[in-house]
Amino acid sequence: MESLFLQQVVNGLIVGSVYSLIAVGLTMIFGVMRISNFAHGDFSMLGAYVAVFILAWLPGWLGWVGSLLAAAAGVGLLGILIERGLFRPLLTRWTDLDQIMVSIGLFILLENLAQLFFGATPRMLPDPFGEATLNLGLFSTSVMRLLCFILALVIIILLQIYLNRARMGVAIQATAQNRKAAQLMGININRVYSLTFALGSALAGLGGVLYGTLFAIYPTMGAMPTLKAFVVTILGGMGNIRGAIFSGFILGVAETLGGSYISMEYKHAIGFIIIILVLLIIPHGLFGRSEE
Amino acid sequence: MTGPRQKLLWALAAALTLALPWLISDRYIQHLLVMSLIFVIFASSWNLLTGYAGQLNLGHAAFFGIGAYTSALLALKLGVPPWIGLFLGGFLAAGSGFVLGIPSLRLSGPYLAITTIGFAEILRLVAMNWVSLTRGSLGLYGVPPLPGFFGIQFTTELTFYYVALAGAALALFCFRRLTRSEFGLSLQAMREDEQGAESIGVSTNRFKLTVFTVSAFFGGFSGALLAHYQRLISPDLLSLHETFQALTMTIIGGLGTLTGPVIGAVLLTFLSEGLRFVEDVVKIDVRLIIYGALLVVTILFMRGGIVGLWERLRAGRGQDTEER
Repeated sequence: MESLFLQQVVNGLIVGSVYSLIAVGLTMIFGVMRISNFAHGDFSMLGAYVAVFILAWLPGWLGWVGSLLAAAAGVGLLGILIERGLFRPLLTRWTDLDQIMVSIGLFILLENLAQLFFGATPRMLPDPFGEATLNLGLFSTSVMRLLCFILALVIIILLQIYLNRARMGVAIQATAQNRKAAQLMGININRVYSLTFALGSALAGLGGVLYGTLFAIYPTMGAMPTLKAFVVTILGGMGNIRGAIFSGFILGVAETLGGSYISMEYKHAIGFIIIILVLLIIPHGLFGRSEE
Repeated sequence: MTGPRQKLLWALAAALTLALPWLISDRYIQHLLVMSLIFVIFASSWNLLTGYAGQLNLGHAAFFGIGAYTSALLALKLGVPPWIGLFLGGFLAAGSGFVLGIPSLRLSGPYLAITTIGFAEILRLVAMNWVSLTRGSLGLYGVPPLPGFFGIQFTTELTFYYVALAGAALALFCFRRLTRSEFGLSLQAMREDEQGAESIGVSTNRFKLTVFTVSAFFGGFSGALLAHYQRLISPDLLSLHETFQALTMTIIGGLGTLTGPVIGAVLLTFLSEGLRFVEDVVKIDVRLIIYGALLVVTILFMRGGIVGLWERLRAGRGQDTEER
């Protein structure tokens, strides 16, 4: 029993690391631009497909490194285009409703374009370790999943370093805290917007590749990471990066534990139940500070 | 607004609507007309809450499903007459709308959107997994039709058209009364500026709950209608895509207008069937791609949808070009 519990916690942490990665992108974009992007999970879907195609063409280590780089670059670039084309025109008449609905249109569009171009058959990413597992006595995990976990952590840490050390990283944080003051300090707000959206999208793309190591890849899969990322983001307080990181792990562990001890069928309801309770009791999320 | 010419036009439109299924004998087109009307109710009820009251509800499919499952199960398991089931389905949806409305009083924008999605997703999982009651993902089939009276059977597209039409008329009448009254004005004040509305004495909580309840009632009512028309329902009725359907129809028609969702529902029902023929030729599923594209284009370039465009054209050519 003890080891089952531990095993589920480990599984939860692995899934959670991917949730965190995807959610960090979403929460960053919200924090800086007040955009709730419902197509965020579709960026993950695109990232996963980038990996599918690159690995089919170039198997092995080079393929994996290439997949991660191409997913980040490709989806990041798409993010810039979408920010310029869809979200920036709405800046002048910024209402929650308009902005969310554009992202829903984008969600429907991307999902079905993917269906058109990639076909509906689910795909899996090949395991470079030949399904080798690592047994640590109390729990075991496949080497691929372990690597997925480590990669997610490394990316999150690199992001933290960038946001705290690099000039543009600090500019992003400043804009998230106070848009007007940041502008007065001479920060080019449009560049910050582009960069934030590109970074956030790239994180979704990277998260998608890692998501693909855990789950099947298919055109309509994007709804899942979108909803998970929103749950995580709300749990951590929208716009709160550190909150999103911790909440991703919390959701991952809560889901696997709930799935094995309460009910497998209602696993995907757990996140929603948690946020409905959280919103009722502590509306600013577990790690939130009240805005204003 | 209501000159004699206007009245004549309305009378003509009403007569045409009544005669429509007799003018078109094709049963398939009649079927599309029925589906349009059901979606007129569904989309309009979503519009009441989101378009008029500004409360972004992305879980409207929950009410659709509650209505459909309630009425279907009552008829199948307890033999409750479907005519009563239609309204019981609506009332149960209204009750859950009220309950969902309570936490939503404090939430807005993305928070409300996710809470409502969560509500619908949880219910969808229940419908999927409570197999002994709902038969899970297989869905319920053999849902009884609406019983006939005076020798009229409601099993054909032609007769059901009038049931759906009566339902749509009832819904639109209620929405019109609500939105054209002082209540409606307060709603719009609340949508534009919630704190401002409160400061002039609008009790926003009471309004939100009322709108949540009424909107949910008709969402459930339309779902129950669909259940007794299609006679087959599945957990897909509770899915996010069903809500997005109402959303797309309303936005393209005109958010926050009475006629917008009506135009949108009819247009998209027929458009998606038209595109199905295109798909048969080119073997590509283009329907939803066009939905998504239309949604994005409408919000970016054609604010107010078709109704907005029409009003701008009528207001004079000089003003129909937006700043951008």
